[in-house]
Amino acid sequence: MNMFTRNDKSFDTNAGSPTPARDKTETPVSPIAETKRTQAPSTPPTTYEVAAPQTRVISVISKALKITGQLESTEDIQVDGEVDGDVRGVGVKIGSNAKVKGTVYGDTVELAGTIDGKIEAKKVVLTSTAHMSGDVIHQDIKIESGAYIDGHCRPEYGKATNKNAHAAAKPAATASSAPVKTGSVAEFGQRA
Amino acid sequence: MPALSQLALAQVPLGSNGTENSASHLGKALTVKGRLETTGIVHIDGNVHGQITADRLIIGAGGYVEGDIVANDVRIGGRFTGRIYARHVTLDGSADITGRIFHHTVTVAKGARIDGRMPWRPLNFFERLEHLREAQ
Repeated sequence: MNMFTRNDKSFDTNAGSPTPARDKTETPVSPIAETKRTQAPSTPPTTYEVAAPQTRVISVISKALKITGQLESTEDIQVDGEVDGDVRGVGVKIGSNAKVKGTVYGDTVELAGTIDGKIEAKKVVLTSTAHMSGDVIHQDIKIESGAYIDGHCRPEYGKATNKNAHAAAKPAATASSAPVKTGSVAEFGQRA
Repeated sequence: MPALSQLALAQVPLGSNGTENSASHLGKALTVKGRLETTGIVHIDGNVHGQITADRLIIGAGGYVEGDIVANDVRIGGRFTGRIYARHVTLDGSADITGRIFHHTVTVAKGARIDGRMPWRPLNFFERLEHLREAQ
């Protein structure tokens, strides 16, 4: 019986401990959020643009890291290393020395490295150092001079990133009437 | 005590190497299923299911890792399930661990929860691991 009561106690103390732990991680974020709030009323469009990337926690797969398996995120991902598997993110950047074997899904995908597989994204940018072996499924594509592509470039307005495309395209189309919005989604809405 | 762990977690990305080249950061929203291998530093705030090989591994307070870890130096502030093979292990107060910790030296902060064993091993045990992890 003693053992059980002991365990219960330790559980109680631990149930408490994660919450302060989360507070710890969130405290550095809050000052940024506060400054954003205070600045936002004065000049909304510009501060919004500046503050957004700061609050976003970007994941970085460094040069020295090799991942065998899937990556999935609801935020941005920067890959400078090697990924043997699929990558899913919102904004995905594949750095100039990076290698990805698999499909890269995202809202925006910027490629400066090597992909051996597929890209499925609303907005695709292939920079001059890009090496793309495989198909690119896109709604909006930019290819810089020097980029290598071995595969098809196919525009798909319904299929690429199924739900996201539908969900984002509609509000974007309505938002395009509003003058303030910037970024890929609004631009795309105007084109469509 | 929270201040201590906060300091340590904050310092790591900066003191990593000077250059940020070898430091990887897996954000809160990132989930990895598979194997991670690096000769540098990995900071995990998201979820990882699979084996991790690194020089230095930090699991942040919100992070969760399930699998085996082989590293020189491990610091855990989040949740972990599996086995750790590391020369030096530090468990923060927010750590929640299920499994075994093979270590040479270990530091456990007050408040850490550990369900499992923490076997001590001599340093040469970890040298042999270098071959072990390649075989796996």
